[in-house]
Amino acid sequence: MKMRLSLSIVLAVALGVIAAQSQTSKAPSPVGSKENGSGAAAASEIRVVDLDGLKKLLQRDPNEKRPLLVNFWASWCDGCREEFPDLVKIDEDYRSKGLSFLSVTVDELEDKPQAASFLQEMKAKMPVVLLNVADKEPAIHAVDLTWDGALPATFLYDVSGNVVYRHFGKIKPEELRAAIDKTIKQ
Amino acid sequence: MKKQYAVSLLVASLVVIALAAVAGSGRTDNDVPAPPTIGTVIDDFKLPDADGKEHSLKSLAGSKGAVVIFIATKCPVSNAYNDRMEKLAQEYKAKGINFIGINANNTEPASEVKSHAAEKGLTFTILKDDGNKIADRLGATRTPEAYALDANMKLVYHGRIDNSQKVEGVTSEDLREALNEMLAGKAVTKTGGAAFGCTIKRVS
Repeated sequence: MKMRLSLSIVLAVALGVIAAQSQTSKAPSPVGSKENGSGAAAASEIRVVDLDGLKKLLQRDPNEKRPLLVNFWASWCDGCREEFPDLVKIDEDYRSKGLSFLSVTVDELEDKPQAASFLQEMKAKMPVVLLNVADKEPAIHAVDLTWDGALPATFLYDVSGNVVYRHFGKIKPEELRAAIDKTIKQ
Repeated sequence: MKKQYAVSLLVASLVVIALAAVAGSGRTDNDVPAPPTIGTVIDDFKLPDADGKEHSLKSLAGSKGAVVIFIATKCPVSNAYNDRMEKLAQEYKAKGINFIGINANNTEPASEVKSHAAEKGLTFTILKDDGNKIADRLGATRTPEAYALDANMKLVYHGRIDNSQKVEGVTSEDLREALNEMLAGKAVTKTGGAAFGCTIKRVS
């Protein structure tokens, strides 16, 4: 009887681990931080990246110790602009607590000045890149297969590069903060 | 008794582990249901147009099918497609496929939908999905987002209209290709496509 009970517990634990793994999707590849560490760029500096550049930013250094928050936005997106002050505050509050933040604008290249102007207005300090790709679909799929491109979109990666939180549409600040708190403690 | 205890323990363990797995997983969306898979027959539905007149999907569909597109009045991406949507609608109406717009944004009232359509020259019927029931049923998340249905209301394509918000950058007309294949009686090769768009403003 004891043996049957032990087997049941082992089975339950195994099933649970499988379930947990299937629920937690992996980042495309490990998430790096050298380019997305704290204070790496001034607000108005937007670096232009292509698909490979974006993938590299989402790659994680094996020695990385900081979770990574990635927010996709565009200057034409109302919801993105509305949530941005909350994201700036989250960046300020959590940078010293061990969170890296990467802001990705999907504005067209010719709209970079509008994006830069918005970031200045927001007094944003997190690193910002502009994704410059002719076809957005490969980039959207490279970031997350459950994402269809609706903006804004926010992803939180743990230090191993797993997506531990994703949100499409305007963030709920308290919900995001709770997810960050949980991830930083891990 | 011991057996009962073991079973209870097993069930409790499974519940605790399942809850932990769910709590640790990434949240998927703002609780938007998953869209129907390609090949699903879309059940008929009724929605009012901007004047309040009710229409059913079947009554608006053409003899060869229909294209349902979630659109917006304020979304710059949706607006960038106004001319392309109207052009496609007129072209394919002549071929038996009718375009139907749906505005599911709770921030854009019917009066605004009506004036926007008049101003932008959109002549296809636009329905107002107050409460986003049909957006939920179709798992629509953004504007513009298209669903192509064949004559039997079977979903053959779901996704973007083409690959570029700017007309000059268009190199892949995914919706058009899907419609052409459908009209030719062929299986649709590319049944979907992702693109950046504005999140549908749902009721909270």
